[in-house]
Amino acid sequence: MTVGIVVDMMLGLALVALSLRVVTGTALFRDIVLFILFGLLVALSWARLGAPDLALAEAAIGAGLTGALMLMAYRSIGTDTEERPVRRRPAVALVVAVLTGSLVAVIGLAALGIERVPDAAGDAVLEALPGTGLRNAVTGVLLVFRGLDTMLEMAVLLVALLGAWTVLGDARPGRVHRVDRRTPLVGSLLTVVAPITLLVAVHLLLAGTDAPGGAFQAGAVLTGCGVLMVLTGTLRPTAVAGFATRLLVVAGLAAFVLVGAGAGFAGHAPMTLTGTWAVYLIETAMMLSIALTMTLLFARARGLRGEGS
Amino acid sequence: MTATVLGLAVVFLLLNLLAGLWRIGAGPTAADRMLAVLLFGSTTVALLLIMAQWLGDASLRTVALLFVVLATIVTLAFVGTPSDQERP
Repeated sequence: MTVGIVVDMMLGLALVALSLRVVTGTALFRDIVLFILFGLLVALSWARLGAPDLALAEAAIGAGLTGALMLMAYRSIGTDTEERPVRRRPAVALVVAVLTGSLVAVIGLAALGIERVPDAAGDAVLEALPGTGLRNAVTGVLLVFRGLDTMLEMAVLLVALLGAWTVLGDARPGRVHRVDRRTPLVGSLLTVVAPITLLVAVHLLLAGTDAPGGAFQAGAVLTGCGVLMVLTGTLRPTAVAGFATRLLVVAGLAAFVLVGAGAGFAGHAPMTLTGTWAVYLIETAMMLSIALTMTLLFARARGLRGEGS
Repeated sequence: MTATVLGLAVVFLLLNLLAGLWRIGAGPTAADRMLAVLLFGSTTVALLLIMAQWLGDASLRTVALLFVVLATIVTLAFVGTPSDQERP
Protein backbone atom coordinates (compact mmCIF):
# COMPACT_ATOMS: atom_id res chain seq x y z
CA MET A 1 0.00 0.00 0.00
CA THR A 2 2.89 2.37 -0.60
CA VAL A 3 0.84 4.05 -3.33
CA GLY A 4 -1.86 4.66 -0.75
CA ILE A 5 0.61 6.47 1.49
CA VAL A 6 1.73 8.65 -1.42
CA VAL A 7 -1.91 9.58 -2.15
CA ASP A 8 -2.54 10.37 1.52
CA MET A 9 0.59 12.52 1.73
CA MET A 10 -0.38 14.45 -1.41
CA LEU A 11 -3.93 15.05 -0.16
CA GLY A 12 -2.75 16.10 3.29
CA LEU A 13 -0.04 18.45 2.06
CA ALA A 14 -2.31 19.97 -0.58
CA LEU A 15 -5.02 20.60 2.04
CA VAL A 16 -2.64 22.38 4.40
CA ALA A 17 -1.03 24.44 1.62
CA LEU A 18 -4.42 25.40 0.14
CA SER A 19 -5.92 26.40 3.47
CA LEU A 20 -2.91 28.63 4.10
CA ARG A 21 -3.33 30.25 0.70
CA VAL A 22 -7.07 30.74 1.18
CA VAL A 23 -6.62 32.42 4.56
CA THR A 24 -3.63 34.59 3.71
CA GLY A 25 -4.53 35.48 0.11
CA THR A 26 -5.39 39.03 -0.88
CA ALA A 27 -7.05 38.55 -4.28
CA LEU A 28 -10.72 37.95 -3.58
CA PHE A 29 -11.75 36.04 -6.68
CA ARG A 30 -8.66 33.83 -6.72
CA ASP A 31 -9.24 32.92 -3.08
CA ILE A 32 -12.88 32.01 -3.76
CA VAL A 33 -11.66 29.71 -6.53
CA LEU A 34 -9.08 28.20 -4.20
CA PHE A 35 -11.77 27.69 -1.56
CA ILE A 36 -13.91 25.75 -4.06
CA LEU A 37 -10.85 23.63 -4.85
CA PHE A 38 -10.33 23.14 -1.12
CA GLY A 39 -13.86 21.72 -0.93
CA LEU A 40 -13.08 19.26 -3.72
CA LEU A 41 -9.96 18.04 -1.93
CA VAL A 42 -11.82 17.71 1.37
CA ALA A 43 -14.42 15.53 -0.36
CA LEU A 44 -11.62 13.41 -1.87
CA SER A 45 -10.05 13.07 1.57
CA TRP A 46 -13.31 11.84 3.08
CA ALA A 47 -13.60 9.37 0.21
CA ARG A 48 -10.05 8.18 0.87
CA LEU A 49 -10.80 7.86 4.62
CA GLY A 50 -13.74 5.59 3.84
CA ALA A 51 -16.48 8.04 4.84
CA PRO A 52 -18.69 8.32 1.73
CA ASP A 53 -21.51 9.94 3.73
CA LEU A 54 -19.28 12.86 4.59
CA ALA A 55 -17.88 12.95 1.06
CA LEU A 56 -21.46 13.30 -0.24
CA ALA A 57 -22.25 16.12 2.18
CA GLU A 58 -19.01 17.92 1.38
CA ALA A 59 -19.61 17.53 -2.36
CA ALA A 60 -23.11 18.94 -2.11
CA ILE A 61 -22.51 21.76 0.34
CA GLY A 62 -18.81 22.53 0.17
CA ALA A 63 -18.23 22.32 -3.55
CA GLY A 64 -21.67 23.23 -4.88
CA LEU A 65 -23.59 25.59 -2.62
CA THR A 66 -20.84 27.40 -0.73
CA GLY A 67 -19.00 28.09 -3.98
CA ALA A 68 -22.14 29.53 -5.58
CA LEU A 69 -22.88 31.55 -2.43
CA MET A 70 -19.39 33.04 -2.42
CA LEU A 71 -19.54 33.91 -6.11
CA MET A 72 -22.90 35.62 -5.53
CA ALA A 73 -21.45 37.53 -2.58
CA TYR A 74 -18.44 38.51 -4.69
CA ARG A 75 -20.82 39.79 -7.31
CA SER A 76 -22.81 41.91 -4.89
CA ILE A 77 -19.72 43.33 -3.16
CA GLY A 78 -18.83 45.05 -6.40
CA THR A 79 -15.87 45.17 -8.64
CA ASP A 80 -13.40 47.36 -6.81
CA THR A 81 -12.12 44.72 -4.43
CA GLU A 82 -10.07 42.55 -6.78
CA GLU A 83 -6.60 43.31 -5.37
CA ARG A 84 -7.41 44.86 -2.04
CA PRO A 85 -4.38 45.48 0.14
CA VAL A 86 -4.83 43.85 3.52
CA ARG A 87 -3.47 45.56 6.58
CA ARG A 88 -1.67 42.91 8.56
CA ARG A 89 -0.92 42.95 12.25
CA PRO A 90 1.90 40.46 12.77
CA ALA A 91 1.80 40.65 16.58
CA VAL A 92 -1.90 39.78 16.77
CA ALA A 93 -1.47 37.09 14.13
CA LEU A 94 1.41 35.56 16.09
CA VAL A 95 -0.60 35.43 19.34
CA VAL A 96 -3.61 33.88 17.59
CA ALA A 97 -1.39 31.39 15.75
CA VAL A 98 0.39 30.32 18.94
CA LEU A 99 -2.89 29.97 20.85
CA THR A 100 -4.67 27.96 18.14
CA GLY A 101 -1.53 25.91 17.56
CA SER A 102 -1.30 24.96 21.22
CA LEU A 103 -5.02 24.20 21.32
CA VAL A 104 -4.68 21.82 18.35
CA ALA A 105 -1.55 20.28 19.91
CA VAL A 106 -3.26 19.72 23.27
CA ILE A 107 -6.34 18.17 21.70
CA GLY A 108 -4.18 16.07 19.38
CA LEU A 109 -1.99 14.80 22.22
CA ALA A 110 -5.05 14.06 24.33
CA ALA A 111 -6.62 12.19 21.40
CA LEU A 112 -3.47 10.11 20.95
CA GLY A 113 -3.68 9.02 24.56
CA ILE A 114 -7.31 7.88 24.37
CA GLU A 115 -7.66 4.13 24.61
CA ARG A 116 -10.42 2.35 22.76
CA VAL A 117 -13.30 1.81 25.15
CA PRO A 118 -14.52 -1.79 24.81
CA ASP A 119 -18.25 -0.95 24.85
CA ALA A 120 -18.14 2.20 22.71
CA ALA A 121 -21.32 3.59 21.19
CA GLY A 122 -20.19 2.67 17.65
CA ASP A 123 -20.15 -1.06 18.39
CA ALA A 124 -23.51 -0.82 20.13
CA VAL A 125 -24.98 0.89 17.05
CA LEU A 126 -23.65 -1.76 14.66
CA GLU A 127 -25.03 -4.44 16.96
CA ALA A 128 -28.49 -2.90 17.25
CA LEU A 129 -28.72 -1.79 13.61
CA PRO A 130 -30.34 -4.97 12.16
CA GLY A 131 -33.28 -4.47 14.54
CA THR A 132 -34.12 -1.09 13.02
CA GLY A 133 -34.64 -2.31 9.47
CA LEU A 134 -31.97 0.11 8.25
CA ARG A 135 -28.67 -0.92 6.74
CA ASN A 136 -26.89 2.43 6.75
CA ALA A 137 -25.40 3.02 10.18
CA VAL A 138 -25.26 6.80 9.65
CA THR A 139 -28.99 7.04 8.95
CA GLY A 140 -29.58 4.74 11.90
CA VAL A 141 -27.69 7.04 14.24
CA LEU A 142 -29.25 10.20 12.83
CA LEU A 143 -32.84 9.05 13.00
CA VAL A 144 -33.16 6.15 15.41
CA PHE A 145 -30.41 6.29 18.00
CA ARG A 146 -29.85 10.05 18.19
CA GLY A 147 -33.17 11.22 16.79
CA LEU A 148 -33.52 14.01 19.32
CA ASP A 149 -30.25 15.59 18.16
CA THR A 150 -31.38 15.52 14.54
CA MET A 151 -34.73 17.00 15.49
CA LEU A 152 -32.98 19.84 17.27
CA GLU A 153 -30.80 20.35 14.19
CA MET A 154 -33.97 20.92 12.20
CA ALA A 155 -35.04 23.41 14.88
CA VAL A 156 -31.71 25.22 14.48
CA LEU A 157 -32.27 25.45 10.74
CA LEU A 158 -35.73 26.88 11.33
CA VAL A 159 -34.40 29.41 13.82
CA ALA A 160 -31.73 30.43 11.31
CA LEU A 161 -34.40 31.13 8.72
CA LEU A 162 -36.55 33.05 11.22
CA GLY A 163 -33.48 35.07 12.18
CA ALA A 164 -32.77 35.87 8.55
CA TRP A 165 -36.40 36.89 8.06
CA THR A 166 -36.18 39.19 11.08
CA VAL A 167 -33.05 40.84 9.75
CA LEU A 168 -34.74 41.14 6.38
CA GLY A 169 -37.50 43.15 8.07
CA ASP A 170 -39.87 44.83 5.71
CA ALA A 171 -37.20 45.17 3.08
CA ARG A 172 -38.10 44.13 -0.42
CA PRO A 173 -36.66 40.73 -1.30
CA GLY A 174 -33.04 40.78 -2.32
CA ARG A 175 -32.53 41.62 -5.95
CA VAL A 176 -30.90 38.44 -7.16
CA HIS A 177 -28.62 39.24 -10.04
CA ARG A 178 -30.00 36.87 -12.61
CA VAL A 179 -28.34 35.00 -15.39
CA ASP A 180 -30.04 35.72 -18.68
CA ARG A 181 -31.64 32.52 -19.87
CA ARG A 182 -31.33 33.64 -23.46
CA THR A 183 -27.59 33.36 -23.06
CA PRO A 184 -26.47 30.45 -25.24
CA LEU A 185 -26.50 27.18 -23.31
CA VAL A 186 -27.96 28.55 -20.06
CA GLY A 187 -31.58 27.77 -20.91
CA SER A 188 -30.88 24.32 -22.29
CA LEU A 189 -28.53 23.61 -19.39
CA LEU A 190 -31.36 24.39 -16.98
CA THR A 191 -33.85 22.13 -18.74
CA VAL A 192 -31.38 19.24 -18.55
CA VAL A 193 -29.82 19.79 -15.15
CA ALA A 194 -32.85 20.76 -13.03
CA PRO A 195 -34.71 17.44 -13.58
CA ILE A 196 -31.48 15.52 -13.01
CA THR A 197 -30.90 17.23 -9.65
CA LEU A 198 -34.45 16.27 -8.67
CA LEU A 199 -33.79 12.64 -9.63
CA VAL A 200 -30.47 12.57 -7.78
CA ALA A 201 -32.06 14.08 -4.66
CA VAL A 202 -34.83 11.48 -4.57
CA HIS A 203 -32.29 8.74 -5.25
CA LEU A 204 -30.12 9.91 -2.34
CA LEU A 205 -33.17 10.05 -0.07
CA LEU A 206 -34.29 6.52 -0.91
CA ALA A 207 -30.78 5.08 -0.94
CA GLY A 208 -30.12 6.62 2.48
CA THR A 209 -31.65 3.69 4.36
CA ASP A 210 -29.26 1.14 2.85
CA ALA A 211 -26.30 3.07 1.47
CA PRO A 212 -24.63 6.44 1.98
CA GLY A 213 -27.13 9.23 1.45
CA GLY A 214 -30.07 10.55 3.39
CA ALA A 215 -32.17 13.61 4.02
CA PHE A 216 -29.33 16.09 4.52
CA GLN A 217 -27.50 15.20 1.32
CA ALA A 218 -30.75 14.96 -0.63
CA GLY A 219 -31.85 18.31 0.79
CA ALA A 220 -28.55 19.90 -0.23
CA VAL A 221 -28.91 18.59 -3.80
CA LEU A 222 -32.50 19.79 -3.95
CA THR A 223 -31.25 23.17 -2.73
CA GLY A 224 -28.92 23.06 -5.71
CA CYS A 225 -31.97 22.73 -7.95
CA GLY A 226 -33.65 25.64 -6.16
CA VAL A 227 -30.54 27.81 -6.44
CA LEU A 228 -30.30 27.04 -10.15
CA MET A 229 -33.90 28.17 -10.62
CA VAL A 230 -33.37 31.32 -8.55
CA LEU A 231 -30.19 32.13 -10.45
CA THR A 232 -31.93 31.84 -13.80
CA GLY A 233 -35.05 33.67 -12.68
CA THR A 234 -37.37 30.67 -13.02
CA LEU A 235 -38.20 31.17 -9.37
CA ARG A 236 -38.57 34.77 -8.18
CA PRO A 237 -38.14 35.85 -4.55
CA THR A 238 -41.21 37.39 -2.91
CA ALA A 239 -41.63 39.50 0.23
CA VAL A 240 -44.46 37.42 1.69
CA ALA A 241 -44.30 33.85 2.92
CA GLY A 242 -47.37 31.99 1.75
CA PHE A 243 -49.10 29.23 3.68
CA ALA A 244 -47.43 26.49 1.65
CA THR A 245 -44.01 28.00 2.25
CA ARG A 246 -44.56 28.19 6.00
CA LEU A 247 -45.87 24.63 6.06
CA LEU A 248 -42.91 23.26 4.12
CA VAL A 249 -40.37 25.14 6.22
CA VAL A 250 -41.61 23.52 9.44
CA ALA A 251 -42.43 20.16 7.82
CA GLY A 252 -39.21 18.43 8.91
CA LEU A 253 -39.48 19.49 12.53
CA ALA A 254 -43.24 18.86 12.59
CA ALA A 255 -42.92 15.35 11.15
CA PHE A 256 -40.30 14.51 13.75
CA VAL A 257 -42.39 15.86 16.62
CA LEU A 258 -45.65 14.28 15.46
CA VAL A 259 -44.16 10.83 14.82
CA GLY A 260 -42.19 11.00 18.08
CA ALA A 261 -45.16 12.13 20.15
CA GLY A 262 -47.43 9.65 18.37
CA ALA A 263 -45.12 6.83 19.43
CA GLY A 264 -45.33 8.18 22.98
CA PHE A 265 -49.14 8.10 22.95
CA ALA A 266 -49.15 4.63 21.40
CA GLY A 267 -47.30 3.26 24.39
CA HIS A 268 -43.73 3.25 23.07
CA ALA A 269 -41.01 5.45 24.49
CA PRO A 270 -41.40 8.97 23.07
CA MET A 271 -39.33 9.65 19.96
CA THR A 272 -39.02 5.99 18.97
CA LEU A 273 -39.60 5.33 15.30
CA THR A 274 -41.90 2.35 15.01
CA GLY A 275 -40.90 1.31 11.51
CA THR A 276 -39.08 2.22 8.32
CA TRP A 277 -42.19 4.09 7.15
CA ALA A 278 -41.48 6.63 9.90
CA VAL A 279 -37.90 6.96 8.68
CA TYR A 280 -39.05 7.58 5.11
CA LEU A 281 -41.74 10.04 6.21
CA ILE A 282 -39.41 12.07 8.42
CA GLU A 283 -36.57 12.02 5.89
CA THR A 284 -38.86 13.22 3.08
CA ALA A 285 -40.19 16.05 5.23
CA MET A 286 -36.67 16.94 6.34
CA MET A 287 -35.40 16.99 2.75
CA LEU A 288 -38.16 19.38 1.67
CA SER A 289 -37.65 21.64 4.70
CA ILE A 290 -33.88 21.73 4.29
CA ALA A 291 -34.11 22.47 0.57
CA LEU A 292 -36.72 25.23 0.89
CA THR A 293 -35.03 26.83 3.90
CA MET A 294 -31.64 26.97 2.24
CA THR A 295 -33.06 28.20 -1.07
CA LEU A 296 -34.93 30.97 0.76
CA LEU A 297 -31.77 31.91 2.63
CA PHE A 298 -29.87 31.93 -0.64
CA ALA A 299 -32.47 34.14 -2.34
CA ARG A 300 -32.84 36.43 0.69
CA ALA A 301 -36.58 35.94 0.37
CA ARG A 302 -39.62 35.05 2.44
CA GLY A 303 -41.24 33.15 -0.36
CA LEU A 304 -40.78 32.08 -3.93
CA ARG A 305 -43.08 32.34 -6.89
CA GLY A 306 -42.87 30.92 -10.34
CA GLU A 307 -41.96 33.14 -13.23
CA GLY A 308 -44.99 34.98 -14.55
CA SER A 309 -47.34 33.92 -11.74
CA MET B 1 -1.19 -5.47 -9.53
CA THR B 2 -4.45 -3.85 -10.60
CA ALA B 3 -4.59 -2.02 -7.27
CA THR B 4 -1.13 -0.57 -7.84
CA VAL B 5 -2.03 0.64 -11.31
CA LEU B 6 -5.25 2.23 -10.03
CA GLY B 7 -3.32 3.86 -7.19
CA LEU B 8 -0.77 5.23 -9.64
CA ALA B 9 -3.62 6.62 -11.75
CA VAL B 10 -4.91 8.42 -8.66
CA VAL B 11 -1.45 9.88 -8.03
CA PHE B 12 -1.23 11.00 -11.66
CA LEU B 13 -4.63 12.72 -11.52
CA LEU B 14 -3.73 14.41 -8.22
CA LEU B 15 -0.57 15.74 -9.89
CA ASN B 16 -2.84 17.13 -12.61
CA LEU B 17 -4.84 18.95 -9.93
CA LEU B 18 -1.69 20.51 -8.56
CA ALA B 19 -0.62 21.55 -12.06
CA GLY B 20 -3.97 23.29 -12.49
CA LEU B 21 -3.17 25.33 -9.37
CA TRP B 22 -0.64 27.17 -11.49
CA ARG B 23 -3.41 28.41 -13.78
CA ILE B 24 -5.38 29.70 -10.79
CA GLY B 25 -2.35 31.58 -9.57
CA ALA B 26 -1.38 32.90 -12.99
CA GLY B 27 -4.89 33.85 -14.18
CA PRO B 28 -4.90 36.38 -15.68
CA THR B 29 -8.70 36.74 -16.12
CA ALA B 30 -11.44 35.44 -13.85
CA ALA B 31 -12.63 33.21 -16.69
CA ASP B 32 -9.24 31.46 -16.80
CA ARG B 33 -9.50 30.73 -13.09
CA MET B 34 -13.09 29.53 -13.44
CA LEU B 35 -12.08 27.17 -16.24
CA ALA B 36 -9.42 25.79 -13.92
CA VAL B 37 -12.17 25.11 -11.35
CA LEU B 38 -14.18 23.24 -13.97
CA LEU B 39 -11.08 21.23 -14.86
CA PHE B 40 -10.67 20.43 -11.19
CA GLY B 41 -14.29 19.32 -11.04
CA SER B 42 -13.84 16.92 -13.97
CA THR B 43 -10.58 15.60 -12.54
CA THR B 44 -12.23 15.06 -9.16
CA VAL B 45 -14.99 13.04 -10.84
CA ALA B 46 -12.33 10.90 -12.54
CA LEU B 47 -10.49 10.53 -9.23
CA LEU B 48 -13.64 9.44 -7.41
CA LEU B 49 -14.52 6.89 -10.11
CA ILE B 50 -11.04 5.38 -9.96
CA MET B 51 -11.06 5.46 -6.16
CA ALA B 52 -14.40 3.65 -6.15
CA GLN B 53 -12.69 0.79 -7.98
CA TRP B 54 -9.43 1.08 -6.07
CA LEU B 55 -10.93 1.16 -2.57
CA GLY B 56 -13.84 -1.09 -3.49
CA ASP B 57 -16.42 1.43 -2.32
CA ALA B 58 -19.24 1.70 -4.86
CA SER B 59 -20.91 4.62 -3.08
CA LEU B 60 -18.05 6.88 -4.19
CA ARG B 61 -19.67 6.78 -7.65
CA THR B 62 -22.66 8.60 -6.12
CA VAL B 63 -20.29 11.27 -4.88
CA ALA B 64 -18.92 11.58 -8.41
CA LEU B 65 -22.49 11.95 -9.75
CA LEU B 66 -23.10 14.75 -7.25
CA PHE B 67 -20.03 16.62 -8.43
CA VAL B 68 -21.18 16.40 -12.05
CA VAL B 69 -24.61 17.78 -11.19
CA LEU B 70 -23.44 20.52 -8.87
CA ALA B 71 -20.61 21.81 -11.06
CA THR B 72 -23.33 23.50 -13.12
CA ILE B 73 -24.45 25.62 -10.16
CA VAL B 74 -21.02 27.14 -9.62
CA THR B 75 -20.73 27.69 -13.37
CA LEU B 76 -24.08 29.46 -13.56
CA ALA B 77 -23.27 31.55 -10.49
CA PHE B 78 -20.07 32.57 -12.25
CA VAL B 79 -21.70 33.37 -15.59
CA GLY B 80 -23.43 36.31 -13.97
CA THR B 81 -20.34 37.80 -12.38
CA PRO B 82 -19.09 40.95 -14.06
CA SER B 83 -16.43 40.20 -16.61
CA ASP B 84 -12.99 41.75 -16.49
CA GLN B 85 -13.92 44.16 -19.27
CA GLU B 86 -16.61 45.66 -17.06
CA ARG B 87 -14.17 46.29 -14.25
CA PRO B 88 -13.00 49.84 -13.73
